[in-house]
Formats: sequence, structure tokens, C-alpha cells
Amino acid sequence: MIARWVRRKLEEKLRVSRWGLRKLDERLRIASVVREAVAKVFPDHWSFMLGEIALYAFVSLLLTGTFLAFFFDPSSGERIYAGDYAGLHNSRVSAAYASAVELSFDVRGGLLVRQTHHWAALIFVAAIVTHMLRNFFTGAFRRPRELNWIIGVTLLVLAIANGFAGYSLPDDLLSGTGLRIANSIALSMPIVGTWAAFLLFGGEFPGESIIPRLYILHVLLLPGLIAALIGAHMGILIRQKHTHFAGPGRNDHNVVGSKMWPTYAFRSFALLSALFAVTFALGGLVQINPVWLWGPFDPGTASAPAQPDWFMGWLEGALRLYPPIEFTVFGYLVPAPFVPGVLLPGLTFAIMYVWPWLDRLITKDRAAHHLLDRPRHSPARMAVGVWALSFYGLLLLAGSDDVLADLMGLPVLTVMKTMRIVVIVVPFLFAAAAYALARALRANPEQRLSGLRWKQIRKSDVVEEETRHGGS
Amino acid sequence: MRRPTPAVCLALAAFALTAVAGLAAANPAHDPVERGRQLYGASCAGCHGQSGEGFMTSPSLRGVGAASADFQLSTGRMPLSAPDARPHPREPAFDHQDIAALTAFVASLGGGPQVPAVGPGDPRKGRTLYLASCASCHSASGVGAALPGGGAAPSLLNTKPTQVAEAVRLGPGAMPAFDTKTLTEAEVNSIIAYIGTVRDEFRHGGAAIGGAGPVPEGLVAWVIGLGVLILVILFLGRRAS
Repeated sequence: MIARWVRRKLEEKLRVSRWGLRKLDERLRIASVVREAVAKVFPDHWSFMLGEIALYAFVSLLLTGTFLAFFFDPSSGERIYAGDYAGLHNSRVSAAYASAVELSFDVRGGLLVRQTHHWAALIFVAAIVTHMLRNFFTGAFRRPRELNWIIGVTLLVLAIANGFAGYSLPDDLLSGTGLRIANSIALSMPIVGTWAAFLLFGGEFPGESIIPRLYILHVLLLPGLIAALIGAHMGILIRQKHTHFAGPGRNDHNVVGSKMWPTYAFRSFALLSALFAVTFALGGLVQINPVWLWGPFDPGTASAPAQPDWFMGWLEGALRLYPPIEFTVFGYLVPAPFVPGVLLPGLTFAIMYVWPWLDRLITKDRAAHHLLDRPRHSPARMAVGVWALSFYGLLLLAGSDDVLADLMGLPVLTVMKTMRIVVIVVPFLFAAAAYALARALRANPEQRLSGLRWKQIRKSDVVEEETRHGGS
Repeated sequence: MRRPTPAVCLALAAFALTAVAGLAAANPAHDPVERGRQLYGASCAGCHGQSGEGFMTSPSLRGVGAASADFQLSTGRMPLSAPDARPHPREPAFDHQDIAALTAFVASLGGGPQVPAVGPGDPRKGRTLYLASCASCHSASGVGAALPGGGAAPSLLNTKPTQVAEAVRLGPGAMPAFDTKTLTEAEVNSIIAYIGTVRDEFRHGGAAIGGAGPVPEGLVAWVIGLGVLILVILFLGRRAS
């Protein structure tokens, strides 16, 4: 009896809530959208979740960053640090530095969240780069996905910029050295340099404006842009449908994989949980950016070793390796930091932006593709990718030349001079090797890289000729 | 029982005195300089000469003073591991007492600064001084760093206060010597107090991964951070198909 009564009551409630939902949908007309979304099919291959690592790292950054914003004071104004850290107790430092040390010693859970935020930032950019490499080597950027490639490159630029802005906020000696380099790079631009640097810093370096300006960039403008572009990135992804790897029953018009609900949603939630587990575990167990040891920024001092976060490390390497050469163009002096500090990153991102069209020139393929290439499909693309990976990887290594010198027991200058040659020569060797290997693998589609024989590499051009003749 | 006569007492006392004197003569530990001379003869004279006059590339020890001897011996830089090796910090070859004896002997060769006394200091003042004068070579976290011309500034995390004070005054190796006009005794004490604070807070927040900043941090983010997450998506992908 009671059971029947309960069931009747429940059915009544359900009727009421169904009625409510129907009325709501009459106004919002959302049911069809949701129905479509939950039926969306995601490919099962693991590499399609690389971008999702970046997405969830961004979620983690928003949550931990909000916590930090409750306690961080982005001001260059000086005040007394009155917290527990003996090395700073009762010292007069900038409010930004004082509150960063308070977050590390005096705010409950502050250091855990600060460190988690920083680890998540490093993983965020690393995941974006890895995601981008997968899209590059499989040709996922080809028509009709050029737009999402451009949005992706923009997201990488914004993520690097936001990482640099956030890293510079605590006003510590290490990041202050980074800001001084940024100031010098801005100054090195011919004609506009002094204006650009004064505009950015609000006057002479270091000034009082840069920390509050970086703060509003870091917590509002850049994350706002990143969130909007992630929305566009995913909107376009849903609109265009996923790419997938070739296989039985797979073609340009379908996607083989798992439905959004319930299968993929649970898998995605598992990844979200894993990301929080990894970032919080690192935040709790591994020290990152101990600002109390770096000390407050003082324009007159510098410590060694001094490196930026890894995603700026390739720029640091370029600045270290570039010889102190100055030249004049149309009577205007071009100071040494301009080439490695402005020209190199400018060219790098410009080429990344136009890559979908450069790729057409190389492969002579202008058609739309929804099936992904195997990386071996285009040896030329493989060579370019491997060249870039090794060039920027070696620049990153050169950015830590003093740490390397310490580890290897060599003089820093010897390491630097060696790296100047290595950075120029080695990427071309790697690219040539990658080209040969990709060609051999393309000629032997069943073969894996580990099983490749020397004979197959040597004879791949012959085999290719034969297949071309056989095909025509 | 008869009490001993004064004569017997005197005789006993005289005997006891000679015995003690004899023991002192037989055990040079009671005379540090003498003990030091013996140790010196066995372990140092081969390079520095029988009476510290120096030989070929080995410097004379006359006039270097107690501070230098104590620094070189207590940090294990001397004796060298091999005749042509560069002095580098390692486990000291002598115990505390023998180092004191050798130091006393070297000091007896004449001249040179005494072993400095270290008092309590103010870590806050020490922080400013350390970051201005020391961190550019020894690194902000005190772990040491590479020097431009080769070699490396050593870690300060396992040093003793006296050794730091000695190094500041003497300037061993590539390090410049700081006189009392550049850094007063109180300032050196503060730097030493700050090194203590750095040591205390070195592992604040977890494993310090070398104390070298963003280089090891980037490595950990890629290998452990992204590495584990890629294993997770590999697992999820395998479960799906």
C-alpha cells in the first residue's frame, strides 16, 4: 500500500517536472540541440584526447587561479611582510611579493594551490603542443579544418603569453629578470622600440605599472580570450565532425567511435579526474617556483641559474646563442636582441598560421579530408615537422646551457659555442633521416618503425618508382 | 695504620708530576702543534715541503694562517684526491681534533688570519646581502651553479657556518675575497643565518628537484605530468576499442 502510494507520488512529481521541462523547452528549444550533442560520436583512438588534457588543465587553472586571486595582491606598492617566513619576516617588499610569500607560508592550503596552478600551467602548454603535433603529423589541419588550426595556433600563443604574465606576477627576482629581458626585447625593435617599451611598462623599467597590467591580462583578458576561442574551437569541431584514422568501415563521411552519452562522457570524466589527481599530486609533493628563495625583485641583482618556464625556454635559448651582432637597415640600428627576440618568434608563428596553405604547396593536395593521414604519408611534412621539433627542442636545451655545463662539468662558453653549431646542423640531419624513414615506411605500409630494415630504407625510392608505374 | 710521612708524600707527588709530564711528552695530542707537525709530515709535506715552504705548483703555507688551513681541511679540499686534481669539497680526510692540530701547526708557521668566530645574525638582512653578493654564483637556493669560465660554485647547503665565514674572507678558488669594509662581521653572520633559513625551507612545498628552478620543473611537467596523463589516455583508448 505504502509502495503504491510512493509510486503514485513519484509519478505525479515526474509528470510535474516533465511538464516544467516541456514548458522550458518550448521557450529555449534546447532539446534538439542536446539530443544531437549526446549522440555525437568521438573517435576512440587515444591521441584524440590530447586536446582534452589541455581543456581540463584550463579548467584546473581557472579553479586554482580563482582561489589564488582571493589572496594575491597585484601591486608594486610596498608593505611589511608579517608572516611566518623567517627570511622575510618584517621586511618591506612589494605587496605582490609579500602576498605571494604569504600564499606559500601563511594561507592555509595556499602553497598547495599555488604549486598546483603552476604545474597545471606547464602541463596546459605541453598538452597544447602535443595536441598540435598530432594534428600536424596526421594532416588534420587540411581543408576544411584550416580555421580550427588557426584558432589552435592562436590558443598556443595566448597560452604562452598568459603563462609568462602569470609567472611574472609574484615580483620575485627570477621573474623580474625575465621582465627585464622582455623590456629589452621591446626596446630592441627599430623605430618603435622605445615607444613600445614605455607603453607596455608605463615608463622606465621596472616602474609601478607592469604588475597590475600583467595581472589584468592574466586573470581577465587572456583567459577570457582563451575561453572564447576554446568555445569556438569546440563549436567548429562539433559542426565539422571529428576526423578519424582510416580503417575498415571508415570513410570521409562517417566517424567510428563512441557516443557522447553515456560512453564518451564517462571516459572524459575519467580524464578530468586524472588531470586533477596529477596536478594536485605534483602541487602537493613537488616544489615549483619557490619564490621565497628567489627573493624580491631588485633591479641591481640577479641569481644563477636563471631560466624562464619551459614554454619560453626556446626564446631564452635563441637569445643566449645569438651573437652580439648589430646592423643598420635604412639607417636604423637593429640591436642584437631583435633577431632572436622578435624576428624568430614572429616568423615561427607566422609560418604556423599559414602552414595549411604551405602544406598544399608541398603535397599538391587541395582536396577536403576527413580521414587522417598516417604520419608516413607525406615524407616532406614529416621532415619539416622533425626539423622544427629538433630546432626548437635544441633551442630549449640551449636556454639551460649553464645547467647543462654544471651537469657535464664543462665551461658554459664551450657549451654555448657548441650549441650554436648544433642548433643549425642537427635539425637538418634529423629532418633528412626522418624523410628517409618516412619514405621507407610509406613504401612498406605494413611495417612499423621498429621493424624497418636498412635495405628497405635504401631501396624505398626504387619501390616507390615501381608502385607509381604500376599504378599508372 | 700509620700516616705517610711528609717525605713519602713529596716523593709521591714528584713521581706523579713526572708521570704526567712524561705522558704529555709521549702523547703529542696534548700539544696540538706537535701533533699537527707529525700529521703534516705524513700527509702534507710531500707537496708543501717539510716546513711549509711550498714546492713547484704547491703553494707555501707560511703566512696563509689558521683560517685557510681550517677551510681547506674541514671542507675536504685538502689533501687532494690526486696530485694533479682540482681541490673540490668532499668528506674531510681528518677528524675534528686532527684538523685542529694541523691548523695549529700551519698557524705556527707564522702570519695569516685566525679562524673567524661566527655569532648569531639576522636572516632578513642576510637575505638582501646574500642575493646581492652570493646568489649570482651560488644560486638563490644555495645549490651552486656553473661559472662562465668552467668549474662551478659549490653548494652551500652542507657547509658549516665557520667555513662560510672563512670562504668570505679568503676567497678560495674563483671566489673573490670580501674584506671587513665590504662585508662587516655582523653582515657575514647575517648571511650565514640566512643560509640556515634557506636550508630550513629548502624542501618547503615538497621535493626540491635540484633547487635549480624552471629547468627541472619543465622536465617534471613533461615527463611526469604529461607523461602520466598520456598513459591515462592510452589506457582509456585501449579500453574503448
